[in-house]
Amino acid sequence: MSPAIALAFLPLVVTLLVRYRHYFRLLVRTVLLRSLRDCLSGLRIEERAFSYVLTHALPGDPGHILTTLDHWSSHCEYLSHMGPVKGQILMRLVEEKAPACVLELGTYCGYSTLLIARVLPPGSRLLTVERDPRTAAVAEKLIRLAGFDERTVELIVGSSEEVIPRLRAQHQLSRADLVLLAHRPRYYLRDLQLLEAHALLPAGATVLADHVLFPGAPRFLQYAKSCGRYRCRLHHTGLLDFPAIKDGIAQLTYAGPG
Amino acid sequence: MIANVKCKPWKMEKKIEVLREAKKFVSENEGALGKGKGKRWFAFKMMMSKKWAKFLRDFENFKAACVPWENKIKAIESQFGSSVASYFLFLRWMYGVNMVLFILTFSLIMLPEYLWGLPYGSLPRKTVPRAEEASAANFGVLYDFNGLAQYSVLFYGYYDNKRTIGWLNFRLPLSYFLVGIMCIGYSFVVVLKAMTKNIGDDGGGDDNTFNFSWKVFCSWDYLIGNPETADNKFNSITMNFKEAITEERAAQVEENVHLIRFLRFLANFFVFLTLGASGYLIFWAVKRSQEFAQQDPDTLGWWEKNEMNMVMSLLGMFCPTLFDLFAELEDYHPLIALKWLLGRIFALLLGNLYVFILALMDEINNKIEEEKHVKANITLWEANMIKAYNASLSGNTTGPPFFVHPADVPRGPCWETMVGQEFVRLTVSDVLTTYVTILIGDFLRACFVRFCNYCWCWDLEYGYPSYTEFDISGNVLALIFNQGMIWMGSFFAPSLPGINILRLHTSMYFQCWAVMCCNVPEARVFKASRSNNFYLGMLLLILFLSTMPVLYMIVSLPPSFDCGPFSGKNRMFEVIGETLENDFPSWMAKILRQLSNPGLVIAVVLVMALTIYYLNATAKGQKAANLDLKKKMKMQALENKMRNKKMAAARAECRSLQPVDSNFLSLPEDQKSSFPSSSKVMTHVKFQRTSFGEQLLCSTLDGIPDVFINEGCLSPPRARKISMLL
Repeated sequence: MSPAIALAFLPLVVTLLVRYRHYFRLLVRTVLLRSLRDCLSGLRIEERAFSYVLTHALPGDPGHILTTLDHWSSHCEYLSHMGPVKGQILMRLVEEKAPACVLELGTYCGYSTLLIARVLPPGSRLLTVERDPRTAAVAEKLIRLAGFDERTVELIVGSSEEVIPRLRAQHQLSRADLVLLAHRPRYYLRDLQLLEAHALLPAGATVLADHVLFPGAPRFLQYAKSCGRYRCRLHHTGLLDFPAIKDGIAQLTYAGPG
Repeated sequence: MIANVKCKPWKMEKKIEVLREAKKFVSENEGALGKGKGKRWFAFKMMMSKKWAKFLRDFENFKAACVPWENKIKAIESQFGSSVASYFLFLRWMYGVNMVLFILTFSLIMLPEYLWGLPYGSLPRKTVPRAEEASAANFGVLYDFNGLAQYSVLFYGYYDNKRTIGWLNFRLPLSYFLVGIMCIGYSFVVVLKAMTKNIGDDGGGDDNTFNFSWKVFCSWDYLIGNPETADNKFNSITMNFKEAITEERAAQVEENVHLIRFLRFLANFFVFLTLGASGYLIFWAVKRSQEFAQQDPDTLGWWEKNEMNMVMSLLGMFCPTLFDLFAELEDYHPLIALKWLLGRIFALLLGNLYVFILALMDEINNKIEEEKHVKANITLWEANMIKAYNASLSGNTTGPPFFVHPADVPRGPCWETMVGQEFVRLTVSDVLTTYVTILIGDFLRACFVRFCNYCWCWDLEYGYPSYTEFDISGNVLALIFNQGMIWMGSFFAPSLPGINILRLHTSMYFQCWAVMCCNVPEARVFKASRSNNFYLGMLLLILFLSTMPVLYMIVSLPPSFDCGPFSGKNRMFEVIGETLENDFPSWMAKILRQLSNPGLVIAVVLVMALTIYYLNATAKGQKAANLDLKKKMKMQALENKMRNKKMAAARAECRSLQPVDSNFLSLPEDQKSSFPSSSKVMTHVKFQRTSFGEQLLCSTLDGIPDVFINEGCLSPPRARKISMLL
C-alpha cells in the first residue's frame, strides 16, 4: 500500500483516539495497570484495598472506611466500586423505602454492603452474595471490621443462580424488599427471572441494577420495560473518576406477579 | 327565497339587496333551474365541464402515481422523520435534472454520431492504435476507460469534425457545442427556479421571540409512523426543551469570553491546518500519479493506479469527523455548529476538487506542448509514406491506391479525451467508495452489533460502535460535489450524464435499503425545511464554480488538431461563426455581427446592472415593509391581550360588586345621597350593565371617565381615580 493512502487514514486514527480517550484511559487503569500490580504483588486488588483500610481507617466506623476506600481508589489504584455519587442515590433510596430485608448480589469489596448497612432501619437484615471465595473472604473481614454482626449482614458465598433457590429454605428469606444487582450485567436478567420464579419479590419491591449503561445490560432493560410488571426509572450518572463516560443505575419497582 | 323575502324581519335595504342578488342568480342559472331557453345547451355544458373536472382529477392522480419512488420515500419519512427523507427527495430531484441532461446529450450528440457518423475503424481517430490493439478489450483496460472504451461515442476524441453528417445534414460540431452550453444554462435555470420556489415556502420562520411557544406548538412531526421514531422524537423534543431552558439560564450567567475566543481561534487554526495538509496530500498524490503515468502500465499495481482517487475519497470521508472533533472545542449552539461543520466540509471538498483541476491543467498544458512535436513528426511521416509509395509505384503504372490502415497512423495527443477520462474515472471510483463504505461502515457494523452484542463485554448498541445514524449533511454534500464533477466533465465526455443516471438510480435503491436496514433514527432531530435552501444555494455555488473552468477551457485553450468535433479550428467557439456564415442568410449574419459590437454589449451590461440594483432595492423595501407589518401585528396582539386581561379583571370586579349594590339600594334615599359620589358611580355602573349589556360595559371601561364626563356627572380627576379603581 502506498504511503499516501496510509497517510489518508491519519484523520480517522486521530479522531478515534481523541474521541474515545476516556475509554482508553479506563482500559489502561483497570486492565493494564491492575494486572501489572497483581503480578508484582501477588495479591488481588480487594486484598490490597483491605490492607490499606486496615492501616488507615477507624474500625467500627463504616463512614470512615468508605471515605478511606474512596481516597485509595482515586489516589492509588482504580478500585471499580460504586463511588460516592451512586452511593448517595443508593442511600437515599434505602432511607426512603426502609426495607425489612435487602438482598445484594455481587459484594465485590463490600463497599455497597457498608453503604446499605449504615442506613438500614434497626431490625432489618442484609444478605449479600459473592461468587468468588477469595473476594468473599476479604469482604467478610471488611464487614466485620466495620462493626456489623451476623444478624445484620450475612455474607453468602456461591454463584447467584445456585444461591437464590436456596434462600427461602436455608437462609430464611421469604421476601426481599430491596434487591441490588451489582455482579455482572450479563446475569441481571437471569437472576431477576429467578427471583420472580421463586416468589422472592413482594409487590412494591425495588430492584436496583448498577452499570446498566456501561458496560450495559440491554436485554435486562428491554425485559424490564416491556414485560409490564415493572416501572423503570434510570438515574444517569457518570462512571467513578471518569465523568465523561455515561453510566446509570436502573430503579425498577415491582408491581406484583399478576 | 324570493317568495319569502317579504316575511323576513330585516331592514328594507337588506331586503332589497337580497332580492336583487336572488334575481341575478336566477337569471344566470336559468338553464339549471329548469326555466328559460338555453336549458339543453346549459345542461350539456354542465355535463362537459363536470367530465373535464373529473378527467383533470384523474390525470392529477395519475401524475402523482407516476412520480417514482414515492412509497419508498414515504416509508423512510415515517421511520426517520422529515430531515432524512429530504435527502432522498433531493436525490430524486437531482435524478430528474440528470435525466434531462442525459436526454440532451444522448439524443443530440451520441445518437446522431452512432447512426450517421462514420463507423469504428474508418478514421484514425476512431481506431485503437496498433500498439494497443492486443489489450484493447481486456477488462482492466476497459475499466480504466482506455482501449475500446476510449475510442467510442463515450468520449470527445471519437467525434469527427465534418460540418454535416448523414442524409439529414446533421450539424454535429454545432450540436456538440450548443448542447454543452444548453446543459449549463438549463442547470442554472432549474436550480434558480427551485430556490425561488423554496423562498416562498420559508414564510414566517423563527424569530427570537416566542421561543418556547414555537417549541411547544410546532415541534411535532406529524409524518412519523413508527413507534420507535415517535419515542425518539419525543425524547429529542424533551432534550430540546431542557437545552433551551439551560440556554436561557446560561445567557444570564457571565462567561469567560477570552477563554471561549481563544478556544474558537484554536479550533479554526486546527481546521486550517487540516485543510492545508489535505490539500498538500492530494497534490503529492497527483504528482506521484503523473510519475506513474510515465512508467510502463504493466508494472503498476491496482493501488498505484487508483491512488489519487482513493486518497481523495478517503480524505473526503475521514476529515469531516475530525472537524466534528474540533467543533467540540468551540462550544456553539448545535444548529450554528452544524452550519460551521457544513461550511468546513464544503471548503475541504472544494479545495480537493480545485487541486485536482490544477493538476489536470498541468497535464493539459503538457499535452498541448506535446502536440507541436507530434505535428512535426506526422508531417515527416507522411512525407516518408508518399516517398515509399511513389517508389513502389515506379515499376507499375496502375497499382493499388494509397492506403494506410487507420490503426497505423501516428496520433496526436488528445487532451480533451484525457480530461473526460479523468472525470469518468473519478466518478466511478467515488461511486465504488460510497458503496463499499456503506457496506462496511453501515451493514457489517450493524451485523456485528446485532449478532455479537450478547457475547461482548460492553453494550455494543449503546456505546461504541452502535448502529450508524444517517449522516444527512455528509451525503448531501457528496451528492452536490459529484454533480459538480458531472457538470465539469460532461463537455469532454458526453457519456458522463448517462453514467450519473445509472449511479443515481442504483444509489437510490441501495441507500434506501441501507437506511431502512442498518441505520437508526438520529437522536437529535433537526428541522429540514430551512436547510433545503441552504443546500440548493451550495448547489448553485458549485454549479458556478465548476462551469468556470470548463468555460475557461473552451474559450482559451486550442482544441486538439487530431481529435474531436472542433479539430482544425483555432478555438472551439468558432463553430458558431462558421455556422452563421454558411447556414444563415447573410443579412442575419450581419445583424448578429452588429449585435456583438462592444459598445452595445457594454450598454446592455450597464442596463442589467441597473436592473439588478433596482430589484435589490425593491426586495429590501418589501422585506422592511414585511417586518413592519409583523411588528404591527405583534403590537395588536399585545393590545388585545392587555384588553382581555382588563376585561377579565372588570368582570371579576363587577361580580364582586353586586352584593354591595343590593345592600346599597335597600338603604333609604337620604342615606344614599350622603354616600360619596364614587358609590353613585357604582350604581350607575350597575345600571349601565343591565341596560346596555356586559359587552358595552367592557368596551367602554377605558372610556368610562369620558362617558361620565360627557354625561356631566363626574369631573375629570375623579373619573381618572375611578377608572384606576376599576
